[in-house]
Amino acid sequence: MISLWHFLAIGAVLFSLGLIGFLTRRNFITMFLCAELMLQGVVINLLAFGRYHGTLQGQVFGLFIITVAACEAGLAMAFFLVLYKRAKTLDSSDWQDTREHGLAATLDLEPLKQPVVEEAPTLPVAGLVPEQPEVMMEEPSRV
Amino acid sequence: MQQFLSSPGLQLVIAALFGAAGVYLLLPKPKMRSVSVGTFLVVASLAVLGLFLYTRFASPLLTRTGETDIMGSVMFWFFSGAATLFSLVLLTQRNPARGAIAFAFVILSTCGLFLLLAAPFLMAATIVVYAGAIIVTFLFVLMLSNVRGVSDENDRTREPLLGSLAGFAFLGLLLFTLHQSAPSLNSESSVVPVLLTTKERVSIEQAFLKAEAALSAETAIEQVDLAKQVRQLVAEGLEPTTYGSQVPLSRLDPVKKDPRVEAFLQSQSELLAATNKLDDALINNAATTKDQLKTVRDKLAVFRGSTDLPARNVANIGVLLYSEYLLAVEMAGTLLLVATIGAVTIANRRKGVMA
Repeated sequence: MISLWHFLAIGAVLFSLGLIGFLTRRNFITMFLCAELMLQGVVINLLAFGRYHGTLQGQVFGLFIITVAACEAGLAMAFFLVLYKRAKTLDSSDWQDTREHGLAATLDLEPLKQPVVEEAPTLPVAGLVPEQPEVMMEEPSRV
Repeated sequence: MQQFLSSPGLQLVIAALFGAAGVYLLLPKPKMRSVSVGTFLVVASLAVLGLFLYTRFASPLLTRTGETDIMGSVMFWFFSGAATLFSLVLLTQRNPARGAIAFAFVILSTCGLFLLLAAPFLMAATIVVYAGAIIVTFLFVLMLSNVRGVSDENDRTREPLLGSLAGFAFLGLLLFTLHQSAPSLNSESSVVPVLLTTKERVSIEQAFLKAEAALSAETAIEQVDLAKQVRQLVAEGLEPTTYGSQVPLSRLDPVKKDPRVEAFLQSQSELLAATNKLDDALINNAATTKDQLKTVRDKLAVFRGSTDLPARNVANIGVLLYSEYLLAVEMAGTLLLVATIGAVTIANRRKGVMA
């Protein structure tokens, strides 16, 4: 027997996970998706209340939330395009000059781990016999 | 163990702490990122959370006499677990393209929950709208993010410890409040009869209808009383008006001889005779019974979801949208139009050229 409170709890979980994502992540697109996640939690709440009171009002409100989410998506994508054109990045911290007066800037002090880059293979000099491995019995792997 | 099972606050605190620590370890950052330990902690937190949900809010596999909702329970746990899992993946994934895919799965899972909540139209609408939105988001990711090498925006997070602590504290408090407001199966103060069969429910409904009929008899008595007063006034030769003025009998004579008035007065007296047979105690009983039944029925509806939704979902939503919410629909349409114009304007703006 699934009661109303189970659905409310799932809505709360989705909402708070979206909240964490929106607060901590720095990529615009991930932040946008996390905001949509919060909206999903809210829609579940509305539908659950509508279901357990036996009315359709919750579903109507859910429809309006989807409408607003679509508007939000369109505007967000337009903003991302403009911001990317100006700064060539999706990092929201690159726009922290617009923050509130008196707040300290976020500085990245720790260096990121650079990935190990393999050197590109080069051809042997013409005229020399390339070094052959000792055993060539097995099929060469196709990696 | 018994102590642990019986203390919801402790369960929630443990779940929130594990979850916060796990998400902190999983969030991308240059140091201290440990996928294995983080995953373990998050899974432990989800397990404790599931235990909380299972033990606190009316065990989902509880069988009523004669009714078992195993399928619904299984689907609920499957969809909600999938939604939570994939939203965690979206939260902690470094690659935004993979995050978009995880979000697609979150949407599918919540659509399953929508179906469980008897909202098939909203499910279809969500899938259609979000399928387009996610594909567009995915294209944006591919177009705008530099997938090669490390990047600041994907490999760093802003205040991961404080953020995850705040989020999980919020979640824990919310669930604790829900638990306090939820009717528990064990509490004796609960008025709700838990093990109620369909037959019992039907008998409650019938009693409710009977009580309602008795009450309407009571209102009939009131009307008869009123009619009696009118009649008395007429007999005394006075006419009650809305202004309270009194009219002499001589002016009422033609009305009094009207056969329709006589018939009306006759029928009123017959009704009065019929309703006089109902004694007051019965009517009072009916009124209190009706109140009690109404309370029980409301609680039952909220607790169990036994209130029925209309079967024709789409047709009923359509009627509701275009009658009661017409203004809201128009405003939503206007909002979409304005948002479209705004998006086009913003995206077309060039440097130095302001429209």
